Amino acid sequence: MIRKTLDTIYNASGYLAAFFLMIICLLVICQVGLNSIDRISTMITGTAFGLTIPSYADFTGFFLAASSFLALTYTMRSGSHIRVTLIFSNLSPRVQKVLEGWCLLFAATITIYFSYYTGYLVYESFIYNDLSPGMIAVPLWIPQTTMFLGLVILSISLVDDLITLLSRKTISYNQSLEQHAEKINK
Amino acid sequence: MSEITMTLCLLLLLFAFLGSGIWVAFSLLGVGMIGMMAFTGAPVGNVLATTVWGASNSWALAALPLFIWMGEILFRSRLSEDMFEGLAPWLTHLPGRLLHVNVLGCGIFAAVSGSSAATAATIGKMSIPELSERGYPQNMILGTLAGSATLGLLIPPSIILIVYGVATEQSIARLFIGGVLPGILLVSLFLGYVIIWSLINRDKIPQEENHYTFKQKLEGTKRLLPVVLLIGGVLGSIYAGIASPTDAAAVGVLLALILSQLTGSLTKQTFIEGLLGATKTSCMIAFILAGAAFLTVAMGFTGIPKMLAQWIATMGLSHYALLGALTVFFIILGCFLDGISVVVLTTSVVMPMVQQAGIDPLWFGIFVVIVVEMSQITPPVGFNLFVIQGLTGVNILRVAYAALPFFLLLLLALGIIVAVPEVVTILPEMMSS
Repeated sequence: MIRKTLDTIYNASGYLAAFFLMIICLLVICQVGLNSIDRISTMITGTAFGLTIPSYADFTGFFLAASSFLALTYTMRSGSHIRVTLIFSNLSPRVQKVLEGWCLLFAATITIYFSYYTGYLVYESFIYNDLSPGMIAVPLWIPQTTMFLGLVILSISLVDDLITLLSRKTISYNQSLEQHAEKINK
Repeated sequence: MSEITMTLCLLLLLFAFLGSGIWVAFSLLGVGMIGMMAFTGAPVGNVLATTVWGASNSWALAALPLFIWMGEILFRSRLSEDMFEGLAPWLTHLPGRLLHVNVLGCGIFAAVSGSSAATAATIGKMSIPELSERGYPQNMILGTLAGSATLGLLIPPSIILIVYGVATEQSIARLFIGGVLPGILLVSLFLGYVIIWSLINRDKIPQEENHYTFKQKLEGTKRLLPVVLLIGGVLGSIYAGIASPTDAAAVGVLLALILSQLTGSLTKQTFIEGLLGATKTSCMIAFILAGAAFLTVAMGFTGIPKMLAQWIATMGLSHYALLGALTVFFIILGCFLDGISVVVLTTSVVMPMVQQAGIDPLWFGIFVVIVVEMSQITPPVGFNLFVIQGLTGVNILRVAYAALPFFLLLLLALGIIVAVPEVVTILPEMMSS
């Protein structure tokens, strides 16, 4: 039950990240389209409409941050974050287990610390009512919340993996990498 | 504690973290945090959150996921199959014949994908069986493939140049344009080498019997043309100043989707796979960049890079000595780390040193990328070597040996851009602002 809920959260945040990536693309394409209309009208009539999506650069940045942070867990569990395995893969399975635990503990500690201070950043932006500088002034705590959420979900996933390791089961990213290897070798 | 000891401690710590298998981004964050806590009184957590937020919401960085997505879409289209049919008919009369398919195919695919491992895998999957069957010498097949696939890093739109541009606050558009001539230079060097080798070893190159008519040649190329036009359009619009790299990337995604729709390779499944693949890859890179951004700021607080720069300045090294030392350092780093990690590490520590020495950061970006290319084909951790070993089962050291001439050609190209920096800088200078 808990397993299923957690997996749903991990995957959902990944899909949401992909969705934001798509939105970035759409937003920029619309802006390029408006720009071209302006350019053509300048050529024909000599005046531009001045068509533009207000603060589109700011929004692109916010969506990018949302996409990057919400994808963190999904990327981690699929084994796509880069690490150096040169030494690692030449050790005995038992030492590998211990090192894996150290890596997860290290990553989890940093992520939890990071989440805490990001939460604090969101809180500060909220009480001081920090706004983005563009034409549409967005309260910064809104986009910053996506970063906070992404980090919190990653913290949960890393602790989840640590527990999985301690209970001697296969952890998420190794499982994904094994499945991937099987698919290629088939 | 002296600053040199400080630097050494942090460097050792970083290598210990990386070596123990900790993910690159976490290693960078960890070293930054420890460095700041140990050597400064700054509020680590607050700086961490603010810096990473600032580095992650950026308009220029948005070009990264978009170009990756464009590559993912084209990667899933029939591009690689079309490559062989499109190129082969034109190359049968050149000395070296179809070996050139590897070089040119990699050159074109590199422009699309921006990743050297993906280039090696895609082109290799198609060209290794074809060329082996026709009896081309194995060493040359593997060497041309391993060498040319590194072009993926340099030929724009290049992912690694976006990373460098964002990390050092250089214009990505200018970096792209700066990479054009060195890319052409490298392709010519590779082609030239294959031609000369084949003229010397005439008996080792098999005869090609197929005589295509001009019409048949065009027929084969027709399917390749849209992709070449797509890349040309993307680059051209950046060069002309019509579009920023982010704009061009978004339009590139749209055109790539239309293209794969037209060739019938766009299904709901390939669309979702491509999008999710792009999401993961760009998240991985964005996280490393976030770690590097924090490390850069943390290092700034400790004053290490500035001190190193001054220390180097007092040694009175010439440009050449400094560049030589950095090249060796990067190649060693590149033996253990992937290209993007090498680049972001560089920018955290080495950049002030480079600027102090009066080296143009734009030129240095291209320089670093060529050095990173070299590291892709050096054992023990050349990514291209791994990929080709995986494709063929040939031992990694033999692949490395086959790729050695291309390593030397990359070194030659490096020498050329050091001697004639204009190869890099002339196009960006001519660019309309």
